[in-house]
Amino acid sequence: MLPTSLDEAVEALGASPAAVPVAGGTDLMEAVNAGRLRPAALLGLGRITELRGWRYEDGGTAVLGAGLTLARMDRPDFAALIPALADAARTAGPPQTRNVGTLGGNIATNAATGDTLPVLAALEAVVTLARAGATREVPVSHLLTGHDPMRAGELLTWVRVPLLHAPQVFLKATGRSGPSRATASVALVLDPARRGVRCAVGAVAPVPLRPLEAEAWVAGCIDWSARGEEGARTIDPAAAAAFGEYVASACVPDGYGADPAAGTAGEGPTAAAVALRRTVAVLARRALGRALK
Amino acid sequence: MTTEAPAPAPAPEAPAAAPFGLGTSPLRTDALPKALGIYPYAADLWAEGLLWGAVLRSPHPHARIRSIDTSAALAVPGVHAVVTAADLPTAAADGERPVLAAEVVRHHGEPLAAVAADHPDTARLAAAAIVVDYEPLEPLVDPEQAFTGPPLHPNGNLLRHLPLRHGDQEVVGEVVVEGLYQVGRQDPAPIGAEAGLAVPRPDGGVELHLSSTDPHGDRDAVAARLGLETDRVRLVVTGVPGATGDRENLSFQVTLALLALRTGRPVKMTLTREESFHAHAARHPALLRYRHHADAQGKLVKVEAQILLDGGAYAEVSAEALAAATAFAVGPYVCPNVAVDAWAVRTNNPPAGRMRGEGALQSCFAHESQLDLLAAQLGLDPLEVRRRNVLATGDTLPTGQAVTCPAPVAALLDAVAEVPLPALPLDEPDTDWLLPGGPGGAGDPAAVRRGIGYAVGMCHMLGAEGTDEVSTATVRVSSGSATVICAAVDAGQGFATLARQIVQSVLGVGEVYVAPVDSDQSIAGPAARGRHTWVSGGAVEKAALMVRHQLLAPIAADFGMSVELLSIADGKITSYDGVLGMPVAEALEGKELWATAQCRPHPTEPLDEAGQGDAFVSIAFCAMRAVVDVDIELGAVRVVDVTVAQDVGRALNPGQIEDRIEAGVAQGIGAALLEDLRTAGGVLLNPSLTGYRLPTALDTPEVRVAALLEERDVVATFGAKAVSAVPAAVAPAAVAAAVRAATGLPVGRLPIQAQDAVVG
Repeated sequence: MLPTSLDEAVEALGASPAAVPVAGGTDLMEAVNAGRLRPAALLGLGRITELRGWRYEDGGTAVLGAGLTLARMDRPDFAALIPALADAARTAGPPQTRNVGTLGGNIATNAATGDTLPVLAALEAVVTLARAGATREVPVSHLLTGHDPMRAGELLTWVRVPLLHAPQVFLKATGRSGPSRATASVALVLDPARRGVRCAVGAVAPVPLRPLEAEAWVAGCIDWSARGEEGARTIDPAAAAAFGEYVASACVPDGYGADPAAGTAGEGPTAAAVALRRTVAVLARRALGRALK
Repeated sequence: MTTEAPAPAPAPEAPAAAPFGLGTSPLRTDALPKALGIYPYAADLWAEGLLWGAVLRSPHPHARIRSIDTSAALAVPGVHAVVTAADLPTAAADGERPVLAAEVVRHHGEPLAAVAADHPDTARLAAAAIVVDYEPLEPLVDPEQAFTGPPLHPNGNLLRHLPLRHGDQEVVGEVVVEGLYQVGRQDPAPIGAEAGLAVPRPDGGVELHLSSTDPHGDRDAVAARLGLETDRVRLVVTGVPGATGDRENLSFQVTLALLALRTGRPVKMTLTREESFHAHAARHPALLRYRHHADAQGKLVKVEAQILLDGGAYAEVSAEALAAATAFAVGPYVCPNVAVDAWAVRTNNPPAGRMRGEGALQSCFAHESQLDLLAAQLGLDPLEVRRRNVLATGDTLPTGQAVTCPAPVAALLDAVAEVPLPALPLDEPDTDWLLPGGPGGAGDPAAVRRGIGYAVGMCHMLGAEGTDEVSTATVRVSSGSATVICAAVDAGQGFATLARQIVQSVLGVGEVYVAPVDSDQSIAGPAARGRHTWVSGGAVEKAALMVRHQLLAPIAADFGMSVELLSIADGKITSYDGVLGMPVAEALEGKELWATAQCRPHPTEPLDEAGQGDAFVSIAFCAMRAVVDVDIELGAVRVVDVTVAQDVGRALNPGQIEDRIEAGVAQGIGAALLEDLRTAGGVLLNPSLTGYRLPTALDTPEVRVAALLEERDVVATFGAKAVSAVPAAVAPAAVAAAVRAATGLPVGRLPIQAQDAVVG
């Protein structure tokens, strides 16, 4: 099925809820080709042009189409709008993947290493799910964690992201120079209007994690009123390092990577947990440093 | 036959005016079709009425097969045949890899049964419908446990033990350094996955179209396993989509042939990427324990080493890797007293096999790491320690073999050391740095440290330990063009181009066609260990010289002079006194001349019970300097620059040599930093190109060739040495040395993981 408009797509999906929507297909088609997934039907979203761009709403929100490609998000106009999302899109994979992979696909696939996901979590984005004759809005974290999952016949159409007009950073550790999946990633956005810092850690758990206490604590450490030489907000380097440790210990449990059958509970963190915490701590510290630079 | 895809077509020849012959760098004839995507590989083959094959593989690394029920698969509409081990005329011998597992599966992904059906999906679905009753057994996955664990084969788990003893075993050095080193499992990961087409023949035989690298060896093995006469099996070599190790293994070939024979129809099989990781052999994971003794000046006094290679379930080609690891355990250094104990064992891990620099890579990483340790202990420059110990022509290897070939190790080290280091990007804005972690990564210039590492290493050429090395070639010339018929497969190493250059040089004929390879031609042997440059190149040269004699003899007779007084250059036959100046084309007018010749280098001998013997025909050496940037907080490593100096004997095609060095370095960087086929309890964890990380253009730096040292190897064809393997074997050691220099950490395993390069 190749609908050319959103209404047509939603209608088609309502008529055959077993059909699987496919946009870039970078994850889905690999599973289909390998025989791991045998969908009853595929609903191609590639011709729905209205979902491939974005619009503004109320002056403070960008409404991003689910069909926005990662390559498009990396372009300067978009990067000026939501820099962290552009960073995540840029590092999401090789050009072949970014040219076809979409924002909506990243959310729907919900891979632990989906690079845009921690950014959306940190931005507290809201997703629009459409079905024949109705739409509903779900916070992206509720969708990703399965707290409020997509229902049969629903199509992910829009992603509502607040425009914060403040520094935001996405950092990803891969251990190599070429494109690769993250071993850990950190998205950090500043919200000066609310004097808040919002942070999400990706790839260390099935869904992005928000270290809420660390966010609240570090927001109190930042001198929001200070305007340095170039209007920079400042933070004590020791506080930035402590923030990194705080985020890491909040997001990586002691038993990370342990064999559940081995039963090593109560013996302190595993070697894998120590290594991953160190990586997350460095990423969080650097992200904060870059945001405040 | 019914196959439609043509054999790889030769591209138009270079213009006649272009220089040709040995020492020039003509473009490979298949370069353009490959770049344009029109070069036919086995996966592109098609035959009228073909069926598709699919294989059922074991999900267990070790299990007893209680029963296999194929009835559900046979009931699938469109299925034409289902075969299991019971359909093969012969069972595998003890320790031999079975075509299809019969009673026991010994590694994850081992094939058990195969299906031929009229559609690939039908074949796969039918294969999945086969019901196998497994009794899972405890897998033996730790090679150190192989000695005492339950035997996986009737003849035990120890495939080979090589105890090398050389010199005085009692001496002790003033300085002693010890290290434990670990090498992971690198996969050849060829860009083209395994594919092939089998066509039944009217005489009851079968014709296999495969990207084989050893057409005769494969033909003989297929015939033996199928109980056919060898002349009933014909193997046609299709374009090889990448081969740095074994390709289309025996199990794949025999299964494909069996399906074609069973159904009486052509059968095609193409493996998915995941299957491909299961189907071909990887590099031997290794554990190496070393103790170097030296005097206060850093001269080596004694080297003790214990080397354990994990050969996987069958370990069929581990003996040679073990011989190389043992003989080159000390590296290209002089050491009077050596004790090496090396073992190749079988486990339930994925099978290990041939890969560039097998055995040599593992030892090189260890002995070079040891030399760095020794330098640190003595407060010497790593280069200086190496210079004080380098091997030269006339020195003796720990195997007792005298190095008679050129061994310009000191000159190689000097050549790389002389090349200026790449500049630090201090003058550039931070945003322009390509930091470890890549563009847009998490790199922070403040946490980046630069390190410089040196390594030298060696690889043997041709089969070792008494392998009968022989190749045959036919050269035919008629009316201005020549044809080379030789069963040497151009697996990417450039043999076809080289054969063309040889004939051009000897006969002065510009247009040379290299015929496609099949097993009806005379034996040329496998494309591995740089054999073909030497053995097949030698056969082509000899045949061309015989043709040359036939061409010149009547002319010489006419002029009353001997053939030796005539020469061929620039497409012209000239006499020593300049009286005669005849174009080659004119001399060839109306003639068809041909000759067949064989090349067989001098024999070698197996290593004896003390690891002594003249086991190698010749050895190639390489020195390398790697410069890396390490983000010491995240452990990300970027290789900034690799400079290579290599002992090539004679540069027959400098352009191609540089390509081969680049390819070897890229593969070596993969082994050093990225590539590791991981397992848990014998089960493959990352059989995909997402999980198995191959180096990309961003991971590989510009490779600078400091020098191609041309010191002729007098026994080799044209004095040339093999070039592909040694850079791949040395690069991991050089990168590890550079990471060590940047971080001050010991770096004892390959690939180097992020946590191995985190400081603090």
